Amino acid sequence: MSSNPVRDLPMSPGQPAPSAPEPSPGENPIREAIAEAIAEHKVILFMKGTPEAPACGFSARTVAVLQSLEVPFAAVDVLPDVRIRQELSAISDWPTIPQLFVDGELVGGCDIVTEMYESGELAEALV
Amino acid sequence: MPSSEDIRERIEAAIPGARAEVEDTTGGGDHFRATVTAAAFAGLSRIEQHRLVYDVFGAEIGGPIHALSLKTALPHGDAAQHAATPTR
Repeated sequence: MSSNPVRDLPMSPGQPAPSAPEPSPGENPIREAIAEAIAEHKVILFMKGTPEAPACGFSARTVAVLQSLEVPFAAVDVLPDVRIRQELSAISDWPTIPQLFVDGELVGGCDIVTEMYESGELAEALV
Repeated sequence: MPSSEDIRERIEAAIPGARAEVEDTTGGGDHFRATVTAAAFAGLSRIEQHRLVYDVFGAEIGGPIHALSLKTALPHGDAAQHAATPTR
């Protein structure tokens, strides 16, 4: 069972989330749930599929990078509802999936994450 | 269905002084890999550099262009001079 406060998002278990108050009802519950998930997880990956079964090569590679650094991360599958991807890109101003956030900030997609992994910057950013 | 040549031309036309090398990674006209060199990237973080290129294509990314894998650099092989990517 997940202690995930963002019940509407198809999340895989990541690091334990702090218990959160009920999301206040708003005009855009999906966007609010995404923003909340980003705020509440130090490392969160929006991807196609799950870490166990990635549905896209770019998502798979990004998961592999994070796993090789042995960093706990939360993951959200954007595939079950097209609105997740739409709202995520509206928040992040980033058109592609996957998207990695650390400490509430967009780090990048597969290309940037891979580049930062190879240069050692990613390990530093995840400390 | 854009060709890698179309993608290259559009990037170079939209970003002044940019040079792009574009490869169609699957041959299907929807997955591309581009290396873009532009002085306009100076002082921008990686995220901002990639956004400049993505913005050339707008909603086509994720639509007809399923994937555009990017590598950005400053001219003169000075790739290391991007601003630090903000992470916190």
